[in-house]
Amino acid sequence: MLKYIFKRILQAIPLLFIISIICFTLIQLAPYDAVDAMTTPNMTKKTVELIKARYGLDQPAYMQYFYWVKGILSGEWGYSIVTHESITKDLTARIPNTILLVLPAYILALLFSIILGLIAGAKKGKLADKIIDGLSSFGIAIPSFWMAMILVFIFGHRLNIFPILGMHTIGNEESFSDLLSHMVLPCTVLMLSFMPELVRYVRSSTIGQLSEDYVMVQRAYGAHSTSILFRHVLRNVLLPIITIVGMSLPMLVTGAVVTETVFGWPGIGTYFVKAIQGFDYPVVMAIMLLSASLVILGNLVSDILYSIVDPRIKGMGE
Amino acid sequence: MVRKNVNILVAILLSSLLALAGCSSKSTDKASTKNEGTNKPDTFIYGIDGDPGNAVNVISTGDRYGLMEIKTIYSPLYMYNGKDDVKYFLAESMTPSEDFLTYTAKLRKDVKWHDGQPFNADDVVFTYEQMLKEENGGWARSQLLFNNQPVKVEKVDDYTVKFTLPTVSMGAMEALGNIFIMPKHVYEGETNIANSTKNATPVGTGPYKLKEYKAGESVTFVKNDDYFLGAPKIAKVVYRIIMDPNTATMALQKGEINALAIQPSDAGKFKDSNVTIKPYEEGRIGYLAFNLSSKAVQNKEVRQAIAFGLNRDEINTASYVSTDYSKPAYSFLPKKATYFTDKVEKHKFDIKKAKDLLSKTGASNLKLKLAFIANNPIQQKQAAVIQQNLKAAGISVELVGMDATALSKKLQSVQTDFDMYLSGYIMGIDPDTFNSLFVTNGEANYMHYSNTKVDELFNQGRVERDDAKRKTIYEEIQKLIIEDAAFYPLTENKRILAIDSRIKGIDEAGLVPVYTFEDMSKLSY
Repeated sequence: MLKYIFKRILQAIPLLFIISIICFTLIQLAPYDAVDAMTTPNMTKKTVELIKARYGLDQPAYMQYFYWVKGILSGEWGYSIVTHESITKDLTARIPNTILLVLPAYILALLFSIILGLIAGAKKGKLADKIIDGLSSFGIAIPSFWMAMILVFIFGHRLNIFPILGMHTIGNEESFSDLLSHMVLPCTVLMLSFMPELVRYVRSSTIGQLSEDYVMVQRAYGAHSTSILFRHVLRNVLLPIITIVGMSLPMLVTGAVVTETVFGWPGIGTYFVKAIQGFDYPVVMAIMLLSASLVILGNLVSDILYSIVDPRIKGMGE
Repeated sequence: MVRKNVNILVAILLSSLLALAGCSSKSTDKASTKNEGTNKPDTFIYGIDGDPGNAVNVISTGDRYGLMEIKTIYSPLYMYNGKDDVKYFLAESMTPSEDFLTYTAKLRKDVKWHDGQPFNADDVVFTYEQMLKEENGGWARSQLLFNNQPVKVEKVDDYTVKFTLPTVSMGAMEALGNIFIMPKHVYEGETNIANSTKNATPVGTGPYKLKEYKAGESVTFVKNDDYFLGAPKIAKVVYRIIMDPNTATMALQKGEINALAIQPSDAGKFKDSNVTIKPYEEGRIGYLAFNLSSKAVQNKEVRQAIAFGLNRDEINTASYVSTDYSKPAYSFLPKKATYFTDKVEKHKFDIKKAKDLLSKTGASNLKLKLAFIANNPIQQKQAAVIQQNLKAAGISVELVGMDATALSKKLQSVQTDFDMYLSGYIMGIDPDTFNSLFVTNGEANYMHYSNTKVDELFNQGRVERDDAKRKTIYEEIQKLIIEDAAFYPLTENKRILAIDSRIKGIDEAGLVPVYTFEDMSKLSY
């Protein structure tokens, strides 16, 4: 078991390096230069040279890559070239805000999806299934910004129940209930956008489980269908969910880009969008690298968890 | 056992629902009581669609919101808003010598920095020196160079500063102003001003002090009771960052924010509400220009044909809805600029003339590419109408929408990716500040326009001391540029500020380009 985990971790390290090289190369290949974002047309050539030299942009690409990786390993992610803020500082201020939004939404979505998915799977083809499955299709098709605007319009503007802007009311930053009321709308949007796929996943895996032999055996013994569903099927359905949960790790950073922008939530999403618009290369690279690393990490975590839950997995790895 | 499992699930489900319901109902009352809190007339919340950042400094900060933050915290010597409209802040006067080679600034004696230190001539000299240092990348550096020579800034006594120009320049009064003064005692010895940690705790002389910056959320200022033009009347000013324009408009309607710059198409939403619409001049000219490195439009008559084929009024109505927000522009100068004239060829919409001119040049089946900023709602509409207009004149136009940064990058190089483009500029008051747009190889001459007569006249106008003669020169330039038809001014549009009707003193505070308010201390509820 430990050997398997160790092996998986070792495999992840070169992957991380490859990712970092890809990130860096893509940015280098981009048609615009980081210098363009820092300089204005009315600067003289000499000023531009001086600015390049200050940021190390006059060095060859491999040296720039080396400095960049060295900085990242020592926790120094560099400076935004647009606002001159330290990226480390910016990220540490914003990541918790995004997690605060995504985590409760995801947990709730997971919870509801399991219940709805089980019901739909068990009642396959019946009305309940048709409704749940239909709503899921609908949910997948709806863009989240549109849903967000609708909710903002109805609950924020017309009914005036919830605030629509940001995390806090100005001058009320300490109040927890204020924070909660700001969270309701964006959390709902996120939850509704996470749910459809999860519901479908649980539903199809329930249907799969219900045709297994052990269900038939239970039925033959005369067990109640609810009992079969929650005692036996649920357990087998939950197992693959571990994979999904692990792989959704990167969502904690980039899962709310659109929703954050609509609600003016001060998380990574708004920061990322702004950085892309402003050609803020160091910021774009940092977030790209971060989310790519989380994908690898998420896979690693879910593989390890899975091997713990289902020891047969590690045999396959060897 | 079976029952129990079900019960647990049901219990979880119920409790989570209850928790949700609980927090929503709680927040209901909270939100409504809080709304009153927000509107308590001691805070002014201005919605902006960009993050000004924490690290602002008067040298390298050059974006609109960074500059708004600077304007709130710092003061310049004076703001130049026109020949007879100079508003003095840290300076009491700025006087040119007889020969227009030296300018002497007399400074206020009652000014204190936010940290209590007195302000004096050393700060002024220090600031201009830092702005002139090439490695600082100062935004105003180029305007402090005259004929490629820097202006010399000297301290005469504690409250007098002398500026010596290398050559006469009639635009100098404007060029030397609008620069914010930084504290020497704070920044002295700092080698990298752009990334200095001191930028996070700015010390200025302006009406407000920075209280708190929240990344991606807001910038909060509190009033400076020692402000030399009188303590501000509103205790707190907040710039609230809202990236989504729809959310921002709704937040303004709801009262979560008190002011916002809006699109013309949104102005109608605020009828019969407690929000006032204040359109104001920024001196912005929106235009269509030709890329003269592209062969298809190098013939002057082709360009003139296109100019006659465009329906300026239709384009403006489509994009700016009403003439309240946009006036047709005919010259490259905005109305407020000195020596403005609209006695130029107006290329009045005349489709027959356009067709005749086209057939005369033999350019049949003309296919042109028009570049514009894809996510700019105004330019989208302008482009669509231009396409229709020119189709009627027998020219097919392909629309090339792109990102703002991409377009500006392309404009800075010689290329033939498109034949025409839409853009706009906010320049200064003195017509000389516009020269880089039109002189051969000018830094902002994105059309790659070249007319030796225009070059010559711009050079003459810069050093001409006689007012009447200058006037003739610049009127001539305006005529020449429009005649060449490489530049087709569309509109002089306004910026539309939607502001809480309870706010008073907007006229005293003064609505100005870029910063919105010239002096925020005059606003009150």
